[in-house]
Amino acid sequence: MLLEARDLTKVFGGFRAVGGASLDVAEGEIVGLIGPNGAGKSTFFNCLAGDNPPTTGTIRFRGQDVTKATPEAHARAGMARTFQVPVTFEDMSVAENVMVGAFLRHGHRAAARRVAEEVLAFTGLDHLADTRAGSLGTPGRKRLEIARALATEPVMLLLDEALAGLTPAEVRLAIELVRRIQQRGITIVIVEHIMEVILSLAERAVVFHQGRVIAEGAPRDVVDNPEVVAAYLGHHMKRVRRG
Amino acid sequence: MKQWPLVLLGFVVIAAWPLLTSDVFLQRLGALVLLSAISASAWNLLGGYAGQVSVGHSVYFGAGAYASLVCFTHFGWPPIAGAPVGMLVSMLIAAVVGTPTFRLRGHYFSMATIAAAELARILAANVPLLGAAVGLMGPPVPRSAWDLSFISPIPYHYLFLAVLTLLLALTWQMQRSKMGFYLAAIRGGDRAARSLGVPVLRYKLYALLLSAAFTSLAGSLYAVMIGFVDPDSGLGILISVKMVIVAALGGAGTLFGPLVGAIILIPLEETTNAMFGGSGTGVTFIIYGAIIVLIARFRPGGVADLWHSLITRGRRGAARGA
Ligand SMILES: Nc1ncnc2c1ncn2[C@@H]1O[C@H](COP(=O)(O)OP(=O)(O)OP(=O)(O)O)[C@@H](O)[C@H]1O
Ligand SMILES: [Mg+2]
Repeated sequence: MLLEARDLTKVFGGFRAVGGASLDVAEGEIVGLIGPNGAGKSTFFNCLAGDNPPTTGTIRFRGQDVTKATPEAHARAGMARTFQVPVTFEDMSVAENVMVGAFLRHGHRAAARRVAEEVLAFTGLDHLADTRAGSLGTPGRKRLEIARALATEPVMLLLDEALAGLTPAEVRLAIELVRRIQQRGITIVIVEHIMEVILSLAERAVVFHQGRVIAEGAPRDVVDNPEVVAAYLGHHMKRVRRG
Repeated sequence: MKQWPLVLLGFVVIAAWPLLTSDVFLQRLGALVLLSAISASAWNLLGGYAGQVSVGHSVYFGAGAYASLVCFTHFGWPPIAGAPVGMLVSMLIAAVVGTPTFRLRGHYFSMATIAAAELARILAANVPLLGAAVGLMGPPVPRSAWDLSFISPIPYHYLFLAVLTLLLALTWQMQRSKMGFYLAAIRGGDRAARSLGVPVLRYKLYALLLSAAFTSLAGSLYAVMIGFVDPDSGLGILISVKMVIVAALGGAGTLFGPLVGAIILIPLEETTNAMFGGSGTGVTFIIYGAIIVLIARFRPGGVADLWHSLITRGRRGAARGA
């Protein structure tokens, strides 16, 4: 297993945002993480990425125990991530944002620049290279976060609602981008509310509800699981099944 | 950079300045502008590029000034020979102060730096070795050329220009390197920076060490030129505030911002001091306060930002005209 998270809990004050969730991810997979608002998906992600270590539980990445490792150690070990609310470096250009990521494995400016250019072309941001990141809209920022993460040359990429807030056309482009990232050999865990995305991208879906994993399996099967339907109050899922 | 011709022109004017006038007040003004540009550019490494607003840099300035005059008073060294000592001491203080304070964010960080600086000022005022409240003097008459004690401000002008040029060249290199990108990322947000593998604390510390060393050098140069330091002139909070204002006025986090800020602020300050008598008077505080309000209200990016929007607007205007 590339990633093994065992019985993670995360307690804020007296509130258990994550209560004993486990996740195994094999190399090359795309795993979809779904669940209603407040289910604990982002909190779980932040535990995996070292942003906010779990209260209890263990995380192994590439055979190493990284439970308490810092976010920068995770990045060095090959785990990259995007944020649900994008946090791009506003005052820097798009290309410079990506270069920050590239400097992780390339100390020299020229080499970092080359990597950044390659990543910008790959993510279709090359025409925006000299634009100030702060002037991008949400879709641009989300794409920039993906580009920046790719520039660190990761083994695994965690995407937290990287496709939320996009128009249907943009979503299709983003799905295509995620596929191409996987073809590069990068393992992907993706949190997504848009069921269409999970259905078309993920080989395996894991459903969170109130900090626990309530279902796991092929996306088609998971969305028909009565417990999952109940968790979503039926609403969202009915629409998906009709569609 | 398309602005190189302008930079060259600026350099030529600054280099020629003391030769263009025989008025000693104006010659002295040139040297003071450069000295202020050195300390503000040094502050800029941490406060501007890394976005960690220290209001306690008087500690490093004072360490430099005191090191020079302590080495003179107690060992009979030429004051400038105390500069490397001051730089070392400053880097030590930086390592000790920086490690815990960098865990604080925003205003809390700034407040902690003020507290540390005030502590240093009170300490200096009570240590006899440092001249306590009276302070320390430099050589009353030069014993050799190494004392760098001149009546004319002109030699200081060129000494300061050389140091400033070195510092800006170093800053320019840093800005283009991995460290420059990492500091900009830290300024943009710790959380995102760390997710990309930036060791935030380590790079903040690098920036602080560099910044402290050069601020200390500015303090030594000050002591060499003025030949006197006491707790207020070496470690007063006004010294820290002035670095922040000069850099912010010209544009924090830009290469030439601190120099531009010094060119605007120092003549203003020296003129009002000459008019109203004394230095560090109420008028100085009023000017500083007014500048803070103006920057905060209208141009958080300082003059550099104004300049940038002026040239882009100029270009757009030219494009429309064509
Ligand atoms: N730092 C924090 N302190 C206290 N409570 C928190 C904190 N972060 C998250 N929570 C709470 O933990 C629960 C899970 O939040 P989380 O953001 O992980 O959910 P999510 O599944 O990502 O939801 P969404 O789909 O809305 O993004 C929520 O009830 C949230 O209010
Ligand atoms: Mg979330």
